[in-house]
Amino acid sequence: MNRLVPFLSRYWAVLLLVVVWHAWVTLGDLNSIVLPAPLPVLADVVTHPALYLTNAAQTMATALAGVAIGVLLGAFVAILAWASRLLAGLLTPLGLIFSSVPIVALIPILARVLGYDISTVVAIVAVSAFFPTFVFTGAGLRDLPRATDDLFKVLGATPWGRLRHLVLPATVPNVMISLRLTVPEGVLAAILAEFLMGRSGLGFMFREAASRFAMERALGTSLVVTLAAVLFFTLAHRAERAVKARWS
Amino acid sequence: MAGLTSLPTRLRRLKRSCAQRAPALIGIGLFCLAWQLIGSYRLAGLTWPPLSVVIGYLVDPDHHRLLTRAASTTLRAVALGYLIGAGIGLFLALAVRLFRPARAGIDTFVALIHVTPAIALAPVFMILMHRDAIPVAICALAVTYLIYVAATSGLDGAKRHHIDLFAVMGARPWQRFWLLERPTALPAIASGLKLAIPVAFMGTIVGEWFGAARGLGLLMVSGMQNFQIPMLWAAVLLTTLTSLVLYALMGLVERAVERRFA
Repeated sequence: MNRLVPFLSRYWAVLLLVVVWHAWVTLGDLNSIVLPAPLPVLADVVTHPALYLTNAAQTMATALAGVAIGVLLGAFVAILAWASRLLAGLLTPLGLIFSSVPIVALIPILARVLGYDISTVVAIVAVSAFFPTFVFTGAGLRDLPRATDDLFKVLGATPWGRLRHLVLPATVPNVMISLRLTVPEGVLAAILAEFLMGRSGLGFMFREAASRFAMERALGTSLVVTLAAVLFFTLAHRAERAVKARWS
Repeated sequence: MAGLTSLPTRLRRLKRSCAQRAPALIGIGLFCLAWQLIGSYRLAGLTWPPLSVVIGYLVDPDHHRLLTRAASTTLRAVALGYLIGAGIGLFLALAVRLFRPARAGIDTFVALIHVTPAIALAPVFMILMHRDAIPVAICALAVTYLIYVAATSGLDGAKRHHIDLFAVMGARPWQRFWLLERPTALPAIASGLKLAIPVAFMGTIVGEWFGAARGLGLLMVSGMQNFQIPMLWAAVLLTTLTSLVLYALMGLVERAVERRFA
């Protein structure tokens, strides 16, 4: 009972959604082609573990690789921009522009330019993670107190020493926040790319199921996608907190 | 006051603002130049057209009917979804402000919707509504999250000593809301409304990919699948530019609200 109340207070809206869904199917006496009930959807996932797992593993691996590449590149370019005022002046406005446009609109272009391939999915996710990371990490570095940098210079630190002991420690927590911020969009970008190119992964499963009105499969894929996205987000959040505790 | 500043001061200011903007303009110029050169020397293959070709496609009167029809469909969906989403977001934020025990549950629910990739909800929408309404629905959902988060954090933003002051002076709850929490929340809501612009476009485009009859998203997909390269790039450029212009306009609104309330 002591555990139930906090659980309910956090999840009542989610539970309500499932209950409404179930009630609607049963009371409305709907055909499963129109809308299957929650249980058959769950059953489809449980009875086809290999299908769901292989596709989910592929999607998550590409999304993870893409987010990692995008975030690391974004942080790297942000450090370059910290080191050079010229680069900062040239790149910051472009970064701001690209991080405030609907980046998914670039997916069809990237798919066409790079070809229908799994590495294209990685590239698309990387692009979606790159710009927000660059802007966010760059802003963090610009916020470093001027005095610390001056202190390092006065004490005769080499540029490398400043990078190693001042810039990198300041970058790492921001990188972790960027990771958390870009993970949901990265997963979305990966699935959209798979959906549009239609080769493999959860996005493709989705498209295939929706096109032949296999609603149990389509909703099952939605469920797996959601679970995977929540898992990713939670991991990124945990990692952020662990790193924050260690670095500051 | 402007008339009182001396000419040299004004010239100095002008020079400074040019010096601040120059690198940005050079950066954007270099970007356009790179786009043009990669396209005309085919460095990225045949699917990367020079910028001039894309602009040529956009200004060609032959394409105006196609483009305006697609753009007006998409813009209408964006506007509708944006308004609905902002309305629901604000409503939910006010509702959990009035009835605090509901807060944690709604927070989880909204966060879940945010983390769920928009496309995963598409089958549900396919069941619930006509396919032309799907872009509006996905757009509204994405905007709801942002506005809800902005509004709840804005409403939470009142300073402890201000709240205490209101309590000491015997303010009624609605007075505290109207005179303290509303003004503190408005800047946060304004920046939420700004950030929601690209999100609204994103939701609409994704919704259109799910089988809308027309719209810029549809132009992108059919351009991609049928190798209509200039059309593909033109649709993407038009979408991003429109989103950017609206984003900049909302940025002005945000600054005005900030100046008034912060």
